Amino acid sequence: MAGADLALLLLILACALLRAAGLLVAGRLRPDHPFVRWAASVALATLAAFIMLAILAPGGALAGIPWWARAAGVLGALGWMRFQGGMLGPLLAGLAVTAAGWAISAG
Amino acid sequence: MIFRTACREALGAPALAMAATFLAFGAAVQAAGLSLSWGLAAALLVYGMPGQMVLVAAVNLPGGALPAVLGAATANARFLPMAVALSPWLGGGPRRWWALPFIAVTPWAMAMRRLPGLPEGQRLGWFLGFGLTSWLVAGTATILGHAIAPLLQGPVLALMLLVNPLYFTLILAHEVRVPPGRRAVIAGCCAAPLALLLPAAWGLLAAGLLSGTLAFLWGERRGRR
Repeated sequence: MAGADLALLLLILACALLRAAGLLVAGRLRPDHPFVRWAASVALATLAAFIMLAILAPGGALAGIPWWARAAGVLGALGWMRFQGGMLGPLLAGLAVTAAGWAISAG
Repeated sequence: MIFRTACREALGAPALAMAATFLAFGAAVQAAGLSLSWGLAAALLVYGMPGQMVLVAAVNLPGGALPAVLGAATANARFLPMAVALSPWLGGGPRRWWALPFIAVTPWAMAMRRLPGLPEGQRLGWFLGFGLTSWLVAGTATILGHAIAPLLQGPVLALMLLVNPLYFTLILAHEVRVPPGRRAVIAGCCAAPLALLLPAAWGLLAAGLLSGTLAFLWGERRGRR
């Protein structure tokens, strides 16, 4: 088995174990159990930190978009959601704001 | 019935976010010289983008992908708290194990919004419908991304990669309406710079663990108001 295949197999097993451990540990607990609420807080905080970094300090191709165009997209999406509701509309509005701002700045 | 409803719910903004992210992943797999079957196995069986990307990025490094497995698993360690938070909503019986392959951030985030408002008997069905649809979208997008990789470059790729953070910003905007969610989101945003200071493989996990714990303790101190 090639190194990349073995690495993938090990990662698949590790991720299955992480999921299984969570289902096993909390399966008989109530949703308002302190351990469950703590886990939900950690998961949500991790997601918030991930999004913050992806918007303000991204790597790779995403870094090619000017920071202000990324921020404008976020504000556009949130603004659209605030006044029109839904998810798909705000998502497309945010993308359009970023794309338009980026295109205008690129001349 | 609830299964079908959940499938439809997954086909709006969540499907767009999944499709854009996994199209980009399929393109990255092709660019790294890996086969479609490798990419599809990673997309469907790892089903956690940070870990998948760590592994793809490591394939062409001098040491190969094997030394990167621990870092990739750590990058996906959020599966553990996510599964803990989700599990009580899926019922105590053995059928909740059907949900295992679908536990990932997109189905999890939507499930934490939807499941508390559903009758107990419908929750697992909803999650399986939403999870299976998202999973199939991810697989299809990976195949497509691998096939059209040369077209996914520059601004197109950058905008596709922005879809996911935008989508989760909207999810978080919903979460901040309740105090526990607000505390966790504020703490996570404040802790984000910590992830930049620590090693990339576990910086985000450490930031999330620390800030999520502080947010939880903050809530406990305020009497869960």
